[in-house]
Parts: sequence; structure tokens; C-alpha cells
Amino acid sequence: MLKATLRSFLAHKGRLLLSALAVVLSVAFVAGSLIFSDTVTRTFDRLFASTSADVTVEPRDDLDSSVPTGAVQTLPAALTGRVAAVDGVSSAHADVSVQNITVVDSANKSVGPTTGAPTIATDWYLTDRSPVELTSGHVPRGAGEAVLDADTADKKHVETGDTLTVMAQPGSFRVEVVGIATFRTTNPGAALVFLDPEVAATRLLGSADLATSVSVEASDGVTDAELKTRIAAALGSGPYDVRTADEQAKSAAENLGGFLDVIKYVMLGFAGIAVLVGVFLIVNTFSMLIAQRTRELGLLRALGADRRQVRRSVLTEALLLGLVGSTVGLAAGIGLAAGLIRLMSAFGMNLNTAEMAIGWVTPVSAYAVGVGVTFVAAYLPARRAATVSPMAALADADVAGVGRPLRVRAMVGAVVGALGVAALTGCVTASETASAASLLGLGVVLTLIATVVAGPLLVRPVIQVLGGAFPALFGPVGRMSQRNALRNPRRTGATAAALMVGLALVGGMSVASASMSKSFDQQIDDTLGADFVIQNTNLTPFSQEVTDRVRATDGVGLVVRQRFAPVAVRLPDGERVKTTAAGYDSQVDEVAHVTYARGDTAAALADGAIAMDVDFAEDHGVRVGSVLPVEFPGERTASFRVGALTDQDAAEGFGMQGGLFFGIATVEKYVPGGQDSVLYVNAAAGTDADRLRPRLERTLDPYPQVQARDQADYKELVHDQIAVLLYLVYALLGLAIVIAVLGVVNTLALSVVERTREIGLLRAIGLSRRQLRRMIRLESVVIAVFGAVLGLALGLVWGVCTQQVLALQGMKALAIPWTTIVAVVVGSAVVGVVAALLPALRASRMNVLTAIAHE
Amino acid sequence: MSTPAAQHAPGLASAEDLAARARGLTKAYGSGETTVLALDSVDVDIVRGRFTAVMGPSGSGKSTLMHCLAGLDTVSAGQVWLGDTEITGLKERELTRLRRDRIGFMFQSFNLIPTLNAVENITLPMDIAGQKPDQKWLDQVIDTLGLRDRLRHRPSQLSGGQQQRVACARALASRPELIFADEPTGNLDSRAGLEVLAFLRQAVDDLGQTVVMVTHDPGAATHSDLVLFLADGRLVDEMERPTAEAVLERMKRFDLIRAQAGAAPEED
Repeated sequence: MLKATLRSFLAHKGRLLLSALAVVLSVAFVAGSLIFSDTVTRTFDRLFASTSADVTVEPRDDLDSSVPTGAVQTLPAALTGRVAAVDGVSSAHADVSVQNITVVDSANKSVGPTTGAPTIATDWYLTDRSPVELTSGHVPRGAGEAVLDADTADKKHVETGDTLTVMAQPGSFRVEVVGIATFRTTNPGAALVFLDPEVAATRLLGSADLATSVSVEASDGVTDAELKTRIAAALGSGPYDVRTADEQAKSAAENLGGFLDVIKYVMLGFAGIAVLVGVFLIVNTFSMLIAQRTRELGLLRALGADRRQVRRSVLTEALLLGLVGSTVGLAAGIGLAAGLIRLMSAFGMNLNTAEMAIGWVTPVSAYAVGVGVTFVAAYLPARRAATVSPMAALADADVAGVGRPLRVRAMVGAVVGALGVAALTGCVTASETASAASLLGLGVVLTLIATVVAGPLLVRPVIQVLGGAFPALFGPVGRMSQRNALRNPRRTGATAAALMVGLALVGGMSVASASMSKSFDQQIDDTLGADFVIQNTNLTPFSQEVTDRVRATDGVGLVVRQRFAPVAVRLPDGERVKTTAAGYDSQVDEVAHVTYARGDTAAALADGAIAMDVDFAEDHGVRVGSVLPVEFPGERTASFRVGALTDQDAAEGFGMQGGLFFGIATVEKYVPGGQDSVLYVNAAAGTDADRLRPRLERTLDPYPQVQARDQADYKELVHDQIAVLLYLVYALLGLAIVIAVLGVVNTLALSVVERTREIGLLRAIGLSRRQLRRMIRLESVVIAVFGAVLGLALGLVWGVCTQQVLALQGMKALAIPWTTIVAVVVGSAVVGVVAALLPALRASRMNVLTAIAHE
Repeated sequence: MSTPAAQHAPGLASAEDLAARARGLTKAYGSGETTVLALDSVDVDIVRGRFTAVMGPSGSGKSTLMHCLAGLDTVSAGQVWLGDTEITGLKERELTRLRRDRIGFMFQSFNLIPTLNAVENITLPMDIAGQKPDQKWLDQVIDTLGLRDRLRHRPSQLSGGQQQRVACARALASRPELIFADEPTGNLDSRAGLEVLAFLRQAVDDLGQTVVMVTHDPGAATHSDLVLFLADGRLVDEMERPTAEAVLERMKRFDLIRAQAGAAPEED
């Protein structure tokens, strides 16, 4: 029996090729993402482990903000002396390292990374642990010199002798590049500027008495943990975190982890889509192979093979396919990881492909996914194969590829579909965001399952409509294409389902994002009153100079500053909420339309007052007049009286829970050294905004870190940020479509083989090759468009429901991007044409006589 | 009149009377020492308005002869004409059009497109060509074959005999110059087979069609006007107004010759 299975596997290897490709793609993405993240993790673990001092003392910071505030946490440089005096300390160094700077070259171009990685200015202090070494020039001496890292110098064409301007919080200063430092370890992608330790603190922190951390080396025989305990004891209850090298490395790796996790999850998302779509392909392949081999299986049964043996034979074939696919996929995954590592180096993160980390988890997951998926996908067809009766061997070869009734599917589809619709209805009517979101998730999953299960039942009605014009348009060729697509609804359904899944996602996401864009537009129209908004895309704060220069620009009337502060607020109901609060100048009414439920702007921004969103306040028992203790970084605490409650749509932006704000003086007081994040600018009376614009742009020319935007530009910025999310979805879709196309190719190719005699007959009685190709192309188009229509219909429903959930967050506008939807339908027709190319060519090349004689 | 050239001078029948003709028709498979001649320089005339049967033992080349005459297969040497058109040397596209417009086909089995109903199958060649069927003629063909109440049935809903009748109707529907039938009764029980043969006879007698039928069944051959006997790729004999006994007798002689040929080396 095993021999027969092996023979059959080898005999059908051509027909299994596309299924194998689907397995390979899924496995490659799984393996690739694991290898990549393992490699990166290991590289950075090593980097941080080798560069961390034995013990590090840092200002305590448990209020991390999702929005940067520009403030640097400092500790007194004098602390170094106290630490050095601790028994067991061999040396202690006051480090100065800041990221709240912008460095520009002589042409006012930023030399910082464009990838979102930070620009770091630090003091030049070379130890065994330094990640860099000086490779040319000399170390920075005095206020006017700096050393730049080699990767940045290379990328931004900076050479020794060039002048850079460093815009730091205390003020901008110019430095000459006197040396180039090269990374000895992996460069995580940041730009590094090294300054003379004598001047670094003054230049970067505004005072020679400050530092950002203290690095401590232990004496021989003193362990890190022991030293940490001693230092912590010596510093008492001061607001400091003391960490060993291991802890410091872990904490640094965790900070980086967020970004790497994104890559990992994106990759796993790709793997998931590949698996999901691949399953349909494999199910179809095995179903068709078994349909084609009915007689052969019947013969096996007639010769005495029992059902279990037949089933096992098919499953063994699946197992072989899974093994081969997984092995190739694993190899492809290694290649994919290598490609990603290369790609990262293009972004400035230099990893070493030779040090690729392949843990035991990788091959295990690869084979588990590959073999598992194939096995599961082949299980139903295998069971069907086992039910082939011995009589099938004797019966006449029946008409190729006719399906069985779909009663079970109808029932399951109806039940699951009803549940899904109920969940979505619940989601639309729900008033709580959390419950609405979970109902949405449930509804999406259930309706997807229902559509996949009931897809074959929809084939007949939908394709009769879709292909209804075919006979009129394309004559008998069109009629035959339409009927061929209807021939086996199960097969057509499964083929189209692969495309449907991807397009449903896109449909839903595009409706949601278009609605978000429209909602934001409305909000901008409703709330933004300023002529210009000055900020950068990441809301990274900028130096005081920018604010001063904007104020001094001719024609500028009013400038309202906005700053952010990470806070923790203790609410009357006992909850401690960590969030980000905003501070504004008092004339905020001139540049924004804020709706208040209670109080007004004056009350909100008054000294010692705080304002928040009315819904948040109600949830936590806050009323106007409530006094709330608020914690700021550096363990500064103060109490604030609630002066006003706002009633704004989307008051709670990302990471801004509660919509807290107060006067900017409060931020200046409790977050010293902070920088402005946004400036709202109005033209002076008598100055036209259009006239002001070029002047503002001239003012901002030396500051590439910020841009001036009017309302239209601001909307565009928001659209672009939403679009980034869409691009990811489109990339996922791209992969889904590639596999779906493989699926259509697969189905058509196998159908062509199955219908060999029919094709021969058609050719004999005078169907030309062109007509034959057209017939297959039209069938392909009708399957693809069927999948697209089903997917988009599902996606529209999802999108509308998602918008309802977003509406609870204040995004009340619904927008349906009809152009995208029409484009997707047209695109799917093109996909159909492309998918049919090879099968059609193959069919038209068939020899008429051998085709007629084909068994 | 259709003749093996070995016994008659070519051109016995005038050219207008010929539906098809072949001269020196040779078909070889393989190359070098393994070459097998399926047809060995065959000359044949198919006369209009007659029912010609081609007979011979398996491997005699009778199917190959039909395929070459019908433009389904290429020839190794020689020439073939359909009416006045020389089809040897025609391009694939021209051959396809020729088959579509001027030839009708019936095969042993799997004659119909399963997704199309009976009437759609019948008009398929004309539909493919984008021509409107001659409704009067179509009605006549359908009624002659007794398919009136089966027109909306799919092939899977028809019996084997009915399916062959639909195939016969399709072959007749476009009023082709020549109908080729390849073992049309091979898959039928004897009653259904007789029916189909009667219809082919009727197509010639009542509808004035020209039919060439390949068969190995002497009974089927008796329905024809003329039987051509093929052996080892050559036309070896012909028989007008055949009877079952005569055909059977003639076929037996082949078997005898073959048996002798097989035994000959041992006698040497």
C-alpha cells in the first residue's frame, strides 16, 4: 500500500506543485520571522550586554509617555561622588546622553536617521565597553568639536572638517566634525554625536552639574548584584533606579523590543494569511485529485483495500507534500530572513547574516505549520476518498468534476451566519467601546466562516448574475465558461474563497480608514481655528529657538504653544491612570473650538486647575471642583482642582486617555526642560494667511525638524498617517492575492486536465485555439470576480460595523471608498485573466487526437 | 464511386462528385528503424451522397485514415482534398475552420459537452462559428432523429443511444459536406446501435448527406453503400452493397492471412 501511495505521489507531483508552493510560502514566512527576530534579539542582547556598565544609576521613571515631551530626566552630577565612595566601586562616571536634539548640516538638512531611530548626543567617554572606536581624526576637545559615527557620516556625506549645528534644549551650537567613530558592534540605526565630556552637560542639559546616568564599574571580586545592593543602600530612598548590567541590558532590549515586535507580528500576519489562503488551495487540489482517481481508488477497494487504508494512503500523500513543502519552506525562510537583515541594514541597522540565529523552535514550528496545515486540509478529501465504493472501478467514467449536494454546508453556513449577523448587530447597537469591539471581532470571524462554508451555495445565484451577460457577449464560449464555473460549486467556492478572504479584509479596512479620514477632516474643520500648525509628523518636540523665531516672524499675530507631560492621576474612584496630558497657552480659544460641558477655557487653564473629558470624568466620579493628585516625572506631585469638563469628539487620542489638559505654566513648572510639541499660529490682523506662509517657511528653513501646515496640509498629514496603516494591509493583501492566484491557476490547471476529452471534442468540432483560451479565461474571470464580490460585500459589512465602533470613540463619519471598491473588482477581473494564462495555454496546446482518446 | 486505386484508374468519378479524395496518403509514426507505417501510400475517393464504411482489423490504419481525411491529423506524405480544397498543408487555424464549417463528427463515446443541453450541443459548431442555424433544416434533423422532446435535457439525463442521436444531429445540423463517424455504435447495445445506423442511412438517403463510418462490426458495415477494407495501412479491397455474410467472410480472410503470416517464419 505504501508503495502505491509513493507511486501516486510521484505520478501527481506536477499537480501537487502549486499546493506545495502554498505550503512553502506559509512555512517560509513563519520560519523567516522567527529566524529574523531571534537573530535581532540575540544581536541586541549581546550588544547591550557588552556595552552596559556593571551597575547603572538612572533617574527613576515610571511614567513613560506615548508622546515625547522633550524633557530629559537628569540627576545631579554630584551623585557620582556619592556612588564612587561606595565600597566595591572601582570607578563611577557621570554620563550625558540625550535624544531631544536635532543635528543639521551646513545646508540645513538633518543628519538624523529617517527611520524614526533617534539622534543621540553624548559625551565622549571611551571604555572597553564602548560600542564605538575612533577610526579617524581625533577626540572632541572643547566646545566647538564633535565626533560623528561612521554610518551617519557615510550616509549623509559628512566629512571631517564639516560644520554641524546641534539644536539642543538649552540652545543651538555649532561644532566642527573632528573625528569619525565606527561601531564595533551592531549599529542599532541611531545617529551618534560625541562631544567633549567637559562641555557636554552644559551644552546638552544646560548645567555642568547635571548628568543623565551614572555608570559604575565594580572592583574585582564584587558581583554586580552585590554592588547594586550597596549603591541602592547608599543612595537611600532617592528617586533613582539602580540596575545591574543584566537588568540594564534587558531594559534596553525591551525598549527596542516594541519596534522589533511590530516586524515580528507583521511577518506572522503574512504567515497567517499564507496559511489561511493556502488551506483552500490544498483542499481543492486533494479534492480534485481524488475526484480524478475515483476509478483507481475503486479498483484498490475492489482488490481488497479497506476504507482505512485508502484514507491513510491519501493522508500519507498529504504528509509527504507537507514534509517536502516544509523543508523547502524552511530553506526559503532562511533566505527571507537573510533578505530582511539586508533590508534592515539599508535602514541603518547593521546585522550580520553570518550570525543568523536558528533556534530549535524554528524548524519545529516550520514542520508543525507545514505538515499540520497540509494534513488538516487533506483530511476531508481523504475521508471522501475512503467512501469511494468498489463499484466505482467498474462504473463508466462519469462526467468530470460534478459535486455532491450541499445540505450540510447550507445548514452550518446558515447557523454560523445567523450567529455572526447577531454579533455584528450587537456590535452596532452596543454603547460600550470594549464590548462593541469584541462583538465586532466575533462577528467578523463568524461571518467569515459562514461565507467560506456557504460559499459554494452562493456560487450558482451569484455567478448566474455575474456571468448572465456572457452568452450574449461571448456567444457559446461565454455560455460554456459560465456553466463550467457553475459545474462544481464546491470547487469554485473554495477557489474564490482564497481571494475572498483577502478582499474582505481590504474592503473592511478601506471603509474603516476612509471613515477615519473623513471623521478627522470633520474634526479638523470643527475644532482647528488656527491659520497654521507648526509641528513634525511624529509630534517630536522641538527647541525653544523655533518658538522664539516663529514669534518674531513678521506678520505672526498669535502663537499658542502645546506641550505634553506624562502624568499619573489618582481618581476619586481609587484608580491610578497613567496617561499623557497637554498644556496650552491661555488664548487657545483663538486657535481651536473646544466644546465644554462644564466651565470654559479660562477655568480649564487657570493656575492650579485641570480639565478633562466629561465621559472620562463621569466614569471615575470626577466633578468640577474635585481635587486630584497628579504625579509628574521625577516624583514631583501636585494637586489640581478640576476647572472644566470638555465634550469633544475623540478627546481621547492615542495614549491620551482622559483628554487631560491644563495651562502651559503647569507643564513648565512640573516638567522643567520640556519643549514645545505644537505651535498654533494665527496671522496678525491685516496680514493675509497666504502672505504669511512663505515668511513662516523662510523662518523654519534652518529647522528641518518642523513644518508649517494650514488646515488642508494638516488633513493631508492625518490622511498620510492613516494610509501607513493601509499600506500594511495592502501588503498583506498582495500576498493573499498571490496565493489566491496560485489557487485559481491550480483549479483551472486541474480542471483542464480533468476536461481533456471535452476539450479534444470541442477542438475536433471546430473550436479554435483562441476561442478555447477565451473560454478558460472567462471562467477564470468569473471565479475571480465572484470571490471579489463576495469578499467586498463581506468587507463592506465589516467596515460599516467597524465605523460604528469607531463612532463610539468620536469618529462619527462614514465614508465608503467606492473608487477603491470598483478598482478592486476590476483588478480581480485582471487577476482572473492572469491566472488563466498558463492553464489556457496548456489547454490550447493539447493535441486534439490524444485529447479525444484520453481516459 | 469510391475505389482503391489498385483496382481502378484514379479519376473514375468526376471531380464534382467527390466529397473527399486522397493521393499517396502516407502516415508514419516514429523514425529510423522503429518507423511504423500506419498508412502506406493510400489513394481513395469518397463519393458524394453515399454511405461509405471503412473496415479492417485493429491496427489496420482505419482510424488514422479517417483522422487524416478529416484534418484532425497531419500526414507524412501525400495529398488530401476536401471537395476542391487541398487540406494537406493548411494551417492549424484553417483546419479548425474547415472542421467547423464543412465536416461533421461522431465519436464512439463522449460526444457531448456535459454542461450544454441537447439543442445547445446540436447547434454548437454553428454557434462557435457565429452563424445562425437554418431553422427549417434543424427542425427536419431533430424530427428525423426523434429528439424533439429531449432538446432541453443535459447529456447526463440522456441514455447512451439518445446521446449518440444528439451527436448525429450535431454532425448533420450544419449540413456539412462530409460526416465522419468513428465507431458510432461501439458503446451502444444492439438495439440502440441499429437505431443510430438507421439514422445515418436516413441522413444519406433522405437528407442527401455524405457519411464515412469507421467500424469493426460487420453488422454495422452492411448499412453502408460501399465497404473499403484496410489492412496494414493499405486499401486491399472494396465491396458494394455489402451483406453481413460477405463482409464477415472477407474479414475472416484477413485473419487467415494474418495467421499464415504469423506462422510463416516457423515454416521456413
